[in-house]
Amino acid sequence: MTIRNVRDHGQRYRPRMACLKKVENVVLEMQDPKTGVKSQTQRLVITTIPHAITGEDIVAWIANRFKTDAAEARAMGTMMVAFGYIYPLQDHKRLILKPDTSLYRFQTPYFWPAQQWLVEDTDYAIYLAKRNIRKKGMLELYEQEQYNNLYKWMNHKWDFIVMQAKEQYRAGKERKKPDRVVFDCQERAYWVVHRPPPGTVSAMDYGHDRMVDPNMEEKKTPDYYRRIIMFIQQCIMRPRVKSSVSIGALIKYTTTYKEHDPFLHTCLPSSPWITDDVTYWTLNMPNVETPTKMRVERWTFSFGELLMDPRGRADFRLFLKKEFSGENLAFWEACEDLKWGAAETMKEKAQQIYKTFLARGAPRWINIDGKTMDITVKGLAHPHRYVLDAAQTHIYMLMKKDSYGRYLKSPVFKETQKKAVAPESHRFTETQLEQNAKRRRPSLSPIILRQQEEEQKAKLAASGPVDITQVMSKLERKQKN
Amino acid sequence: MGKDECKTMLDALNKVTACYRHLVIALGSTSDSQNLREELKKTRKKAQELAVANRTKLTALLKDKSISKDDRAEYERLWVLFTSSMELLDVDMKRSLEIGQDFPLKVPTRHLIQTGMTGSTTTVAARAMSVQNMKYEADANIDTVDLKELETEIAQVDQMMEEMEMKVQVAPWAVEAKQEAGAELKSTVSVGNSSVGVISICEEEPKETVEGETGLMKVFAGIIFTVVLLIAGILGYLVINL
Repeated sequence: MTIRNVRDHGQRYRPRMACLKKVENVVLEMQDPKTGVKSQTQRLVITTIPHAITGEDIVAWIANRFKTDAAEARAMGTMMVAFGYIYPLQDHKRLILKPDTSLYRFQTPYFWPAQQWLVEDTDYAIYLAKRNIRKKGMLELYEQEQYNNLYKWMNHKWDFIVMQAKEQYRAGKERKKPDRVVFDCQERAYWVVHRPPPGTVSAMDYGHDRMVDPNMEEKKTPDYYRRIIMFIQQCIMRPRVKSSVSIGALIKYTTTYKEHDPFLHTCLPSSPWITDDVTYWTLNMPNVETPTKMRVERWTFSFGELLMDPRGRADFRLFLKKEFSGENLAFWEACEDLKWGAAETMKEKAQQIYKTFLARGAPRWINIDGKTMDITVKGLAHPHRYVLDAAQTHIYMLMKKDSYGRYLKSPVFKETQKKAVAPESHRFTETQLEQNAKRRRPSLSPIILRQQEEEQKAKLAASGPVDITQVMSKLERKQKN
Repeated sequence: MGKDECKTMLDALNKVTACYRHLVIALGSTSDSQNLREELKKTRKKAQELAVANRTKLTALLKDKSISKDDRAEYERLWVLFTSSMELLDVDMKRSLEIGQDFPLKVPTRHLIQTGMTGSTTTVAARAMSVQNMKYEADANIDTVDLKELETEIAQVDQMMEEMEMKVQVAPWAVEAKQEAGAELKSTVSVGNSSVGVISICEEEPKETVEGETGLMKVFAGIIFTVVLLIAGILGYLVINL
């Protein structure tokens, strides 16, 4: 028995599925004997079953009804098949609409993907048990796995499932042959939609459920009005930007990043989410030796991009080391550490930073103007997370205006650019894709990644910062000799 | 014995639930008709009678404090069977209400979904009611009248299930199944050759059907051939002798 005492917090509202009701109306229109889709009979070996429709008829009907072109009609037809309102009679696992003479049939209203009827695992277990009986134990691999899983966690209901499966099977045999075939096809199509075989994408993936039904009218209580008033007051107080400016910025951003977005552009070598091959992720690890060409290109877009990418930051650090101005980056990193670090070590960190970077005669003294220095030193009397914010911003702008430009022209960067790798796009066959899917493994645990990060940081700290006084003293010694 | 009675009643309820589901699946499609609505009504009423009978029996048995632990475990298992059946029935009734409202029969522009099912469901309903033939005696506007009754019946079932939850203290997750995985394969009636042929049509492997069919044909042909040979042999022997 499912637990019903829990109050239903309305977690069943699926906002993106508001289209289902509209598709149902379209399907009803398609049934009209005069203006609907033409139906034919499907001829099988012994029986003939009516009400089969061809893919091209569906596409033609949709194009006619909605006055669109064939490509759009085909996309809409594929959506209807993916949701399960129409199911293919041949090649039942691929839920697409083929605009040729391949046959389809309408699904019965009971098996429509309705908004409020959850797809129960009990029903799926009963279906798998029935299929087990029919196929005499030879279920497909993924079905067998599901069956075993369900047996484990629905064990308390298993007797019921077996009994019900046998009874449904026997009741099904009471109908005539053609009806039996149709019923089997219908049920199978329903479960292909709601429990898709591995390697296929389900149209029923709609993201998180919402707490509130978006179509329900909200009662106008004083609370509701209070909320509306607060919302509007905040809207008025927001700073406004001219749309020409914001749209210009948006256009600039999209044109720059167009080719770097894996959704809009092909991802080299291949998107791991599609082909299950993780080369893309291994090539773009945070501390990889040779970055990819796309990654290096992104460093040229803005200074922020360079700093945010760990590999980019490492490259920049190398460049600054050669120029002996590594203290700016070190100060910036220390400020970041202070901002994002633990609260208990904050005071010591702030003191350490002051001693290393800000005090007069400090080993890695940074060059900030007098006013900022004043504010910072005053703030350090009562240190908090954002006490070094002004200094950090100043140093950031300094690096951006000065070092960044020189870095992009430097031999370090040019070397990295030359060595950057541009992987070729993968071309997998169907069988290879299936193998990849089977070989899927979870990625490195975040704990391990964090440990690696800490090791890196420790190594960096241990290698010792090259501060200007040491270098000056070395130079002096050389001169003396 | 109380257990056997319970089991037979539960089997009956199970059968009616399975048949009801088959009938609801046919709603709204081209095999929908006045008869189907009447069959649904009758099956539903029978299911409710069985449900009430089961409930009284099981609650009486479970309330009895003087039963052994094994007996109690068995009754709990039967209780879980009963509640699962009731849940399925509840969902099917609600869905039949919704689909019945969406697909009224007596409307001039009637659009039933062309699902390919055209046969009637009399045999399924007869199985549910445990009769040989179904008698249809309802009037013409059963679809609208029935829906109101259906609403009240759904309310009744909901109330019954709430009462059951409150009054009977059974932990459903503590029940262990008696059947193991794959148990359904063991004691089903042997699948006849014809239905194997039918189902393999669905599997896009028409070769299988054809092979199955011609396999049978081959066997028959072989038998006939041997019979003919025997007759020819006997005749030849007689001719030679005479």
